[in-house]
Amino acid sequence: MDPTSIGWLTLPLAILAGAIRVSTPFIFVSLGECITEKSGRINLGLEGNLVLGAMAAYAVSYLTGSPWLGVLVAGIAGMLFGTLHGLLCSVRRVNDTAIGISLMVLGTGLAFFWGKPFIEPKAPSLPTIGLGFWSDIPQIRSALEINALFFLGIALAFALQVVFTRTGWGLMLRTVGDSEDAARALGFKVRTVRILATSAGGFLAGVGGSFLSLSYPGSWSEGLSSGQGIMAVALVIFARWNPIRALWASLLFGGAGAIGPALQGMGVTGFYYLFNAAPYFLTLVIMIASTSRAQPFTDAPGELSLHR
Amino acid sequence: MRAITLDLVGMTKRFGSLTALDAVSLKVRAGSVHALLGENGAGKSTLVKCLVGFHQPDDGSILVDGKPQAIATPKDADTLGIGMVYQHFTLVPSMTVAENLVASQARLPAYIDWGANLARLRSLLSTMPFHIPLDVRASQLSAGEKQKAELIKQLYLGRRLLILDEPTSVLTPDEAKEVLGFVRQLTDTGALSVILITHKFDEVTRYADDVTILRKGAACRTGRVQDLSTTEMAEAMIGHALERKDARTRTATGTAPLLSIERLTAIGDIGLPAVKEVSLKVHRSEIVGVAGVSGNGQKELVEALMGQRERTGRIEVSGSEFSGSRRQLADLGVYGLPQEPLRNACVPRMSLKENMALRNFDRPPIARSVFVDWKALAAQAVALVGKFRVKASGLDAEMNTLSGGNVQRAVLARELTNDVRVLIASNPTFGLDFKACEETHDRIVNARNNGAAVLLLSEDLDELFDLADRIVVMSEGSLVYEVETASATKQIVGQHMAGAH
Amino acid sequence: MHATTLAQAESPARNRTTSYLSALAPLGAVATAALIFAVFVSLYGHDPIKVFTYIFEGGFGSGFAWQDTLSRAAPLILVGLAVAIPAQAGMVVIGGEGALVAGGLAAAIVTLPFAGYPALPMQLLMLVAGVLFGAVWFGLVGALRQWRGLNETISSLLLVYIALAIFHQLVEGVLRDPASLDKPSTHPIDAGYMLPAIPGTYIHIGLLIAVGMAVLAFVFIRFTTWGFALRVVGGSDRVARMIGLKVDRWIIGAAAAGGGMAGLAGAIEVAAVQGTANSSLHVGYGYSGILVAFLSRHHPLAVIPVAILIGGIQASGSLLQRRLGLPDATVLVLQGIIFVCVLVGDAVIRNHKENGRA
Repeated sequence: MDPTSIGWLTLPLAILAGAIRVSTPFIFVSLGECITEKSGRINLGLEGNLVLGAMAAYAVSYLTGSPWLGVLVAGIAGMLFGTLHGLLCSVRRVNDTAIGISLMVLGTGLAFFWGKPFIEPKAPSLPTIGLGFWSDIPQIRSALEINALFFLGIALAFALQVVFTRTGWGLMLRTVGDSEDAARALGFKVRTVRILATSAGGFLAGVGGSFLSLSYPGSWSEGLSSGQGIMAVALVIFARWNPIRALWASLLFGGAGAIGPALQGMGVTGFYYLFNAAPYFLTLVIMIASTSRAQPFTDAPGELSLHR
Repeated sequence: MRAITLDLVGMTKRFGSLTALDAVSLKVRAGSVHALLGENGAGKSTLVKCLVGFHQPDDGSILVDGKPQAIATPKDADTLGIGMVYQHFTLVPSMTVAENLVASQARLPAYIDWGANLARLRSLLSTMPFHIPLDVRASQLSAGEKQKAELIKQLYLGRRLLILDEPTSVLTPDEAKEVLGFVRQLTDTGALSVILITHKFDEVTRYADDVTILRKGAACRTGRVQDLSTTEMAEAMIGHALERKDARTRTATGTAPLLSIERLTAIGDIGLPAVKEVSLKVHRSEIVGVAGVSGNGQKELVEALMGQRERTGRIEVSGSEFSGSRRQLADLGVYGLPQEPLRNACVPRMSLKENMALRNFDRPPIARSVFVDWKALAAQAVALVGKFRVKASGLDAEMNTLSGGNVQRAVLARELTNDVRVLIASNPTFGLDFKACEETHDRIVNARNNGAAVLLLSEDLDELFDLADRIVVMSEGSLVYEVETASATKQIVGQHMAGAH
Repeated sequence: MHATTLAQAESPARNRTTSYLSALAPLGAVATAALIFAVFVSLYGHDPIKVFTYIFEGGFGSGFAWQDTLSRAAPLILVGLAVAIPAQAGMVVIGGEGALVAGGLAAAIVTLPFAGYPALPMQLLMLVAGVLFGAVWFGLVGALRQWRGLNETISSLLLVYIALAIFHQLVEGVLRDPASLDKPSTHPIDAGYMLPAIPGTYIHIGLLIAVGMAVLAFVFIRFTTWGFALRVVGGSDRVARMIGLKVDRWIIGAAAAGGGMAGLAGAIEVAAVQGTANSSLHVGYGYSGILVAFLSRHHPLAVIPVAILIGGIQASGSLLQRRLGLPDATVLVLQGIIFVCVLVGDAVIRNHKENGRA
């Protein structure tokens, strides 16, 4: 038997590797959206932060040769854009959903504008950690070449859960998101908390974007994002505003999204497009199954405008 | 003595051209209960909001234990030991009681050691006369439990002056006694001074030492409770002598049931049945009052009757099954007066004239085939607005620019002008001033005298005893007690409201 | 006449200022956006006057520019209505792109079995097929909202990706014309069935259809009892139920009507421009429709000029690139800035109105 052949394991291995690659940006954007929504605001424009982050990361990595510096700048770019969202939504009676859509347009526009010169050159990618060293089989080795951002994302999910339940900041954030009256009575600065939460969410979305351009797919182009930023909102509803569940949801999505390319890698191309849309099908189906007419969103922060 | 002596001197607050507070002065003696009486809009909440740092007075000073203090933010009030229990609770619904208590601390801890915190909270709770579970989400507490949790929160924060805003409005008479009794006990030991906002005179006479009555932003009476009769207090509050209340003439109650509800069940917001197999008949020329503590299914019952909530069971109006379609509503003459009329009976962003046509926009003369005749629509609005004295900047004014009383008059005009055979009213005077209250009551009795069957749900026992011919009590989604008003006593009705059956 | 019964709580003068202000607000917002954009391009060393001149030239400066602009305006009007009509019922449906490709695909294949028939019934068939498929697609969004409580913004976005996947799967699979090599497409429709140009111009008749739909939507909403009912449902679903309106039907119907408009846009693109369904069908019209609808404040008639304005700005992108070397995303930036300014401007005006009473 050929030692490099792993037979039937190819597909699950490819899906696993794909799941990790595809889910990483989802983890960051959904955790970012989770922070924002916990404060009672919804940011539908994270797609803008994501694409802007992807562009900034790629440009900085190309210009300085340091991909990690790119990640940081991507985060800062996302944060600035998140702060803009936070400030605009602080104008009374501004509709946060609509502002999100408008910032999605503006963010992608700016990213394409500034990113035009960086479509051609090749920037250094983020290094990976080879967890397949124990194996001689190249497929396993390459499948377990995992980006450090993935582990960072997992750690972040657990850290956020601790912040939400065991820190004063977490309680303040949840108070602001769940009951503005309560927050005011306690003297919390509702507006400031929300702006900060939106900024933090923007930061994480920017970092998620940097993964797209610096790791997988690993280059900057205008068709880079396939709506990961938009999906974050659905993911967070799906995860019922819990960071750990958001992590699992992202992995599930990644897995679903990896089925198509994995099958294609094995030469099965029959339903390539349908498999590519698997994460969207999956979200829709699970959301239909988990909501109900009488109580659409259990566990939703009370101040969220989704909550009718 | 820990309790605060508070002096308010010449407190004035203006909002634009409106003077909400006009040089109000009063003194809260240390360890006393000071009642604040006044109608809606008299300035009670503006006054206390200045005390807890939500508003800045334009003029006047606040003296705490004789020293002038500026209270710019809720944090400042907190530092001085001044706290408030709001009428609309300020517990965070999705957080547990323990989380709520910890989040309310002035200095939020960076990291929360739940073991130590829970131990501390349990020992505090053991000194209280009532029990609250610490690990239950606030959204799952009953109204009474929420009220107690708010009180515990304030004591946990070490308050020396506590403001209670209509604390008993969601409690049964017995729960009210328990809560206010405990508050009285704390003031008597000198641990606390209390400002009690209320509109119930018996609470003032039973629990308060001093009273200040506000009218139109000014303190029109202030003094010892024992020196004032309830009639004097009521007259000071309203500004003129009280009319005899029971002057309303009433026709005899009919025998034919106009509204008949059979085994109606409706699911509440959290997925459990909130109305359980309720059966009830309301006859011609009869007002049936539904009493109950807030949150016992009344809201869901009204929504089910008005077609706003899914239900099972049978509803008959004038003998035919009622489904709530537009045709039936018009043919059978079913109308409604919900609480918070702007939210529940009007489309806030549509104009006054459009809101006046909600019942008949698709029938002649307003509809001509499928088109709206805007002239006819405006003419109808002019007529109704004139007859019910609705004040607005114009017929095209958006409904949400009208004042509360005018919204109510507009809704009364729309709902009570036609041939009303069934009227469903739910807390119809909630938040209205005295005049609008009286007018609403008169119109309801009028509809009854003209033959309507009226179902009146109210959290205000006085209103029910004043208007209803028959009273039923709703508790935990079921009707548990029924009595003719003539032979009813508030005490027995109250006991059934509390679940003693 | 009724001045006697209506006390003047507000001074009439003030009232008039507020209404002038709200009429001028969109213009003010667009002017502010232009100013911000001018600063933006100057930062890159471009003369803003020149940039605006080229935008004008590229969008409205010549017969050719007008033709390009108006051809873009036709689908933009329709996808704008696809957002504006559901908005009357209180919904924010933004997945017009999905309904557009659904309608376009339906129009592209519905006439394939019929060769050599008279053109008019075939053209109608294509348009109706587009409307129906788009309506079903959005109807699903409305139904999910009413039956499962699923937020319509989210579900419509998810459905865009699902629609695109199905579209590509079919176009590159069973429906593919083997002759379409580098760009997989469906079999081309009979050349005789293509929609004609407006007589005397090179602009296809889809523009007239779109304008007609906008007028129809306006009349429906403003003058019929159905439009009145729809606005009640949009304003307060509780009150709509209280007065006996069947809210589910109105919501699903409004969503379906919006989807029908987007589907019609797809059908017109196929039947008047592409002649086949392929990836040229989804070039982002669905997303531009959101901008058009919000800029026109969901007013069906205002959608027409706004769609022409946005069509013109989009048409000018290539000219900016050719003459000034600005990336074509420049016009996207401009649209984003306008969008933000209009939203904020609207809120400021409403706050001003609110403060006016008291």
